[in-house]
Amino acid sequence: MHAALATAEGDTGFWATVAPIVPHPLEFFFGIVTFAILYFVVKAKVVPRLEQIYADRTAAIEGGMNKAEEAQAQATAALEQYQAQLSEARGEASRIREDAKAQGSAIIAEMREQAASEASRITETAKKQIDAERQQAVVSLRGDVGRISTELASRIVGESLESETRQKGIVERFLSELEAGEVVREKVGTAPTTGEGGDA
Amino acid sequence: MSIVATAVSAVSADFTPPGVEEFWQPLFGTDGPWAITRPILLSVLSVILITWWLLATTKKKAVVPSRGQMGTEAVYGLVRNGVAKDLIGSKEFMRFVPLLFTMFVLILTNNLFGVIPPMSFSTNGRIAFPIALSLIVWIVFHFVGMKKHGFFGYWASLVPSGLPKAMVPFIFVLELITDLFTRPVTLALRLFGNMFAGHILLVLFITGGWYMLTNGGILVIAGGVTWVFALIMFLFEILVEFLQAYVFTLLAALYIAGAVADEH
Amino acid sequence: MTGNIAILGYGLSAIGPGIGVGLIFAAYINGVARQPEARGMLQPIAFLGMAITEALAIFGIALAFVFKG
Repeated sequence: MHAALATAEGDTGFWATVAPIVPHPLEFFFGIVTFAILYFVVKAKVVPRLEQIYADRTAAIEGGMNKAEEAQAQATAALEQYQAQLSEARGEASRIREDAKAQGSAIIAEMREQAASEASRITETAKKQIDAERQQAVVSLRGDVGRISTELASRIVGESLESETRQKGIVERFLSELEAGEVVREKVGTAPTTGEGGDA
Repeated sequence: MSIVATAVSAVSADFTPPGVEEFWQPLFGTDGPWAITRPILLSVLSVILITWWLLATTKKKAVVPSRGQMGTEAVYGLVRNGVAKDLIGSKEFMRFVPLLFTMFVLILTNNLFGVIPPMSFSTNGRIAFPIALSLIVWIVFHFVGMKKHGFFGYWASLVPSGLPKAMVPFIFVLELITDLFTRPVTLALRLFGNMFAGHILLVLFITGGWYMLTNGGILVIAGGVTWVFALIMFLFEILVEFLQAYVFTLLAALYIAGAVADEH
Repeated sequence: MTGNIAILGYGLSAIGPGIGVGLIFAAYINGVARQPEARGMLQPIAFLGMAITEALAIFGIALAFVFKG
């Protein structure tokens, strides 16, 4: 086959017998031209298309990932919201409890105060009443004691000292002295004290 | 043994092994430096095929790819992430992706033409095509390097910093030779050499096997074995073709990365 | 015996790169066997090393054709 081809074209010419490392001019020219044509096709069309495919694929994959991330973010947000609501509710509950406690203690304190004031009022009233009654009793007792002692004295003395006593106000004076605790106490209290002191 | 020896000598006497002239295939009766040759036609065909394929498979821009789009994306991903991004770095790699991707698909398609029957000729087995490609790489990596570091800064950046003063001229000359000469020449020669040798090897196996099968007599068995080996070589060639396209792109990316790197 | 001595030169020039490429892939296989997760990082390095080592053999084949005639 080769021999047939070679002989048909004539293997005696310069280009047939020259060393194969001598470049053929037209082949060299076509080497440059074919490369240049293909380069411009590749640069203008093929590489942009392939890069776009790469970008689209990346975008598609990233889009899927974004979607998943979004879902996750939504879930997280929902969880956070739920937790926030829960803690809020808890806070509210404790606040209400706190309020109730405070209110309860306030009520108790108020009640206690009211009761205390009522009690003191009652006590006061009672004391006042007692005082008044005592005063009344003292007054009536004074009168009675005066009258009885005068009567007794007049009975012992045998005559009526009533008018005289009233005139002189002896009983009154005595009683007031007694109340002041000067006369009687001195008379009653000194005798045993000195007696005891004497013994010692 | 002597029978085999005589048979071999008898066969080899009028068997012409494939040679350099195998690669000179002008078409339409043309000849000379401006002849339209078979690889020229194949390179044009490869550009048409690649353009059609790339535009057809990326037309829908589907997020869930069809099978064709998946194949295009696999190749694109290999060049974009496996070569450009890894070597040049994620900061600047994007502006070189079209260049490297074009280079990879063009070289791969033209290489694979070597094992696909209707074409059966690897365009890159002709040195002019690898030279054209490596010249483009050479211009690009010098250009971006000078654009980044400035004209003098670029040449100064060839010498690694922290070198003893006396060493600097020698290293500079060495780096200069590497940068200006060795890199582009090896880049072109590697691709060319692999495709050239691979094609010549395949032709040798097939024509030699065919010759032995038809004329060999006792060597018919050897001819059959040769064709089995030719099949294995076909598979090996496919591997080499992928590998060379990958290595060419990888080295182009590496040279560009070296030129745009902040520090050498 | 007919032929060209330049092809012999190419054969000689292919010995070194052959050994070199073998060493590179041996090291690469070793590395991947020890640390399978480092495969992605080692692969470009291995292929780069192979490409650079192989350059010598490529020079050989080119020069074989240059000095053929």
